[in-house]
Amino acid sequence: MRSLYSDRPTWLHRVPAGLKLLALALLGMGLFAIPQWQVLALVSGACIGIFISLGSATRHTKPLMVGVLVAGALVAGFHLALAQPVLAAVTVMRLISATLMGIALTLTTRYSDLLHVFEWLLMPLQKLGVRTDRVALQLALMLRFTEHFFVTWRRLDEAYRLRTGKSGGFKILAPLTIQMLITARRVADALTLRLRRKPLNL
Amino acid sequence: MNTPTSTFSLALVSLFAALIAVLGLIPKIDLPLGVPITLQTLGVMLAGCLLGPKRALQALGLFLMAVALGLPLLSGGRGGVGVFFAPASGYLLGWPLGAFVTGAVMAVMPTGTPRQSAIGAFVASAVGGLLVVHICGVVGLVYIANLSWQQAAIGTLAFVPGDLIKCALCATVVHTVARGVPDWRFGG
Repeated sequence: MRSLYSDRPTWLHRVPAGLKLLALALLGMGLFAIPQWQVLALVSGACIGIFISLGSATRHTKPLMVGVLVAGALVAGFHLALAQPVLAAVTVMRLISATLMGIALTLTTRYSDLLHVFEWLLMPLQKLGVRTDRVALQLALMLRFTEHFFVTWRRLDEAYRLRTGKSGGFKILAPLTIQMLITARRVADALTLRLRRKPLNL
Repeated sequence: MNTPTSTFSLALVSLFAALIAVLGLIPKIDLPLGVPITLQTLGVMLAGCLLGPKRALQALGLFLMAVALGLPLLSGGRGGVGVFFAPASGYLLGWPLGAFVTGAVMAVMPTGTPRQSAIGAFVASAVGGLLVVHICGVVGLVYIANLSWQQAAIGTLAFVPGDLIKCALCATVVHTVARGVPDWRFGG
């Protein structure tokens, strides 16, 4: 499975992942603390400018952008229908600014770099007994089995179609779930054996 | 210490997160009356019923982390940090909490027979997967889309019938799992 990260180099690729995440968090909080539409218009202009400056790296973000624009239009339409044009503008500017910067972060930050930041952020949870050192292994397992279960779903659907002439739809959900539970037991057995032989070192 | 229980939890949490991801890749399903539904929110209900509160919370947390890392795992191929700023992000952030509550309710429901398990799953998913997730969604709509509480509540009601159908689907799946894997402990 491919990440939404873009290989086309931009100036934002050179900024450390932690700094970008911190900036996004501050922007997210700041946007909701600013009530004046004039200030928000300036911030939105800057966010749109940053996004445009990424050039061809943003080429494959069309589906995401369409989603943002549709959500923005719906919210704006709702507020305009209630004769609240300023509120409509403020809400849409917040939405578009935060989302554009979120997409920019995703486009310009490698999966592994973000993962390091997340693991660092989760470290305090170790005091509560949460094994944060296993996050990378869990993510790897999850991605490996996403493809596996998708193939399983297609096989079950094909088998159902051959028997009945129709797509399986929700009727193959239960068999898929049972296969997942049985696979989880097998994977757990394999992991137990491996981890006994060699302690987890991530 | 890598005990069989901890590795089983690790595998189960990871594989269930994978299942939720697959439910987002599967195209919309048409129910008998022609009503189309997406399945990812059904994954939230199933996680609670099958894994119990703690593992369900971890599975949904892991899934959302993968989304935040930029993987296009949400239905429609969406992903990245940007989705957490959308008007509907309250629903998204409510998934782990919803799964936890579903698991907590399922843990106290009688599950002696497949029929009891199915009834328990319907009640648990209605409380956790529907009520809790919608409350989180309404909070998101109020703070992100600037709607009033009343407007947000009316807006979310439109999705309640579809989610009730998902609760029934969840109960059906749990019923089949109870027959197919009789030694499975529902609710963790």
